[in-house]
Amino acid sequence: MASISGAQGAVPGIGSGRIRRSSRGSSSWRGTAWRWAVLIVAGVYFLIPLWAALRFSGIKAFGSVIGEDGFTSSLGLSVRLAVVTTLITIALMLPTTVYVHLRLPNLRRLLEGITILPIVIPPVVLIVGVLQIAPGSLKGTPYLLALEYVILAMPFAFRAIDAGLRALDLKTIVEAASSLGAGWFNTLWRVVLPNLRTALLSAVVLTVALVLGEYTMASLALFQTFPVWIYVNSQTSGQVSVAASLLALFVTWLFLMAITMLGTRQSRKTGGGSVTLFTVARQETRGN
Amino acid sequence: MTANITGNAAADGTRQVTGTRGTSVVLQDLSRSFGATRALDGLSIEMAPGELVALLGPSGCGKTTALRIVAGFETADTGSVLIDRKDITSVPAAKRDMGMVFQSYSLFPNMSALDNVAFGLRMRKVGTADRRKQAGELLDMVGLADQARQYPHQLSGGQQQRVALARALAIEPRVLLLDEPLSALDAKVRLQLREQIRTLQQRLGTTTLFVTHDQEEALSMADRVGVMSRGKLEQIAAPDELYDHPATAFVAEFVGVMNRLPAELQGGGMVTALDSTVPVMNPDADLSPGPVDVLVRPEGLAMQVIENGNGIVTTRTFLGSVTRVHVLLSGDVTVQIDKPSSEAAALAPGTSVSVSLPADPVLITPRR
Repeated sequence: MASISGAQGAVPGIGSGRIRRSSRGSSSWRGTAWRWAVLIVAGVYFLIPLWAALRFSGIKAFGSVIGEDGFTSSLGLSVRLAVVTTLITIALMLPTTVYVHLRLPNLRRLLEGITILPIVIPPVVLIVGVLQIAPGSLKGTPYLLALEYVILAMPFAFRAIDAGLRALDLKTIVEAASSLGAGWFNTLWRVVLPNLRTALLSAVVLTVALVLGEYTMASLALFQTFPVWIYVNSQTSGQVSVAASLLALFVTWLFLMAITMLGTRQSRKTGGGSVTLFTVARQETRGN
Repeated sequence: MTANITGNAAADGTRQVTGTRGTSVVLQDLSRSFGATRALDGLSIEMAPGELVALLGPSGCGKTTALRIVAGFETADTGSVLIDRKDITSVPAAKRDMGMVFQSYSLFPNMSALDNVAFGLRMRKVGTADRRKQAGELLDMVGLADQARQYPHQLSGGQQQRVALARALAIEPRVLLLDEPLSALDAKVRLQLREQIRTLQQRLGTTTLFVTHDQEEALSMADRVGVMSRGKLEQIAAPDELYDHPATAFVAEFVGVMNRLPAELQGGGMVTALDSTVPVMNPDADLSPGPVDVLVRPEGLAMQVIENGNGIVTTRTFLGSVTRVHVLLSGDVTVQIDKPSSEAAALAPGTSVSVSLPADPVLITPRR
């Protein structure tokens, strides 16, 4: 659900900015009409369920959500997991991907293949396997989930960072920095990282969205993350649970928009596009 | 700031050149293999302080590998690089004090032109005000003072390469390395930038190694041109020397236009072609008497309009002051001859001409 809200935020940006304006009047008019048609259909598709949910829960339910048992603790857990997962993911994937690009370009395809695996393997398989072998001390802590989520986030994080690096001519700018006297730290900190801002933000947005919306693993591992709480709660109080998920949707959306705007402001200066969930796809095409 | 960096503009507005200039560069017997390919095969070059040497050759001849070894981005399997007579083989690239301009656009996209130029100074712990001032002067020097605050994506290709040049010069490099810096640019910009680089290089007196596959670029810019083939240096000489007295057939055919004519090598250093017998320019080619080819420049062939001559004009191309004529000789050999345009009026296609070899020495090469 979190990822849906992210996509929703991004659709208008794609529609208005990226389609090349034609000089001929009639096709320009057709393009505009077509764009609006897509926008309206997509809007209806996304908004009707939201509107229905709002109708069902009623405004009053929102007030009681926050006081509801487990709301704060489950939301807090999900946010903590999102932060931890993002930190581990970036710390692992960024140096790995940069290193592979610079020194082991032949292994890039292999790495890409490996990072795809979590998409191919169902989350149920992953979590059941891990629960079998994980040491007891780890099984007791919800951060076991963060480790699992790092695996789940791998394909998204890799692709985002990889696309950013491919758009960069990494080898040349690293060599340029080095010929100007920059050591490894300065090269990474002042040259590589600033140019990966957009890619890193994409990776962060995708990872956060994934963690805030993941249900299967958390539920099987018996931790009450926010999605699990919503589901459990819907058994007892339907209206409150729907209000809670709407609220979660809104909070997540705000969160992702904040990240997006942060990235946009920075990258407008240096010519990059805005960060949306579609940045990855766009960078893929630019990189090739 | 290290001692040899002087950012102060002199009274006449040009940058001061300090006495520490004059770095000599010696490439000593460099070899490098990539798998089964020998990219460099015993390359040795000695560069005098302040000299601009161009390495010229077809792609894959090893010229870029040589440059990257000097820069410290590649290591040689054997051999060494000496800067001011000191072996720098074990010095990492970041500590070599070499300014490099790359073939592809290498500006840091996240920094303005000014910050790009100032980057090397920042790495040398030059204070903010100082480095901005020096970077500004360098941008002025390459004619981009007005673009200082622009980001790379706002600059044209030529402007980007000029910023890259300013950035490389900002660190007052001991050696300037240019890796085909003009090949991504369009012809007109290339010509301007070529002159600008040469003028700056001569003014600053920076020893410069320049890699290119464009012979015109090499001949017009360099003090000496090293022609490379298959990892080896075929010849290194001043441009006119290279053109007039190529040491090998490869150099002769790679630099400028060469006609190849079937000939008969006689004893005693003489060769016969087009019914004249002339001296051999390269007796050390070590060919035995018999069929060989001779190589002659388009301006080295004489031609007269004559009935029933040994050739027929096939095409005539007006090139301004000269007109280029292709002549089909008997034996299905086509030669190219340049004539002053004032003398070319009679040379319409189909005209019968007589082509002959003046008595000057010619290059010989095995028959192809």
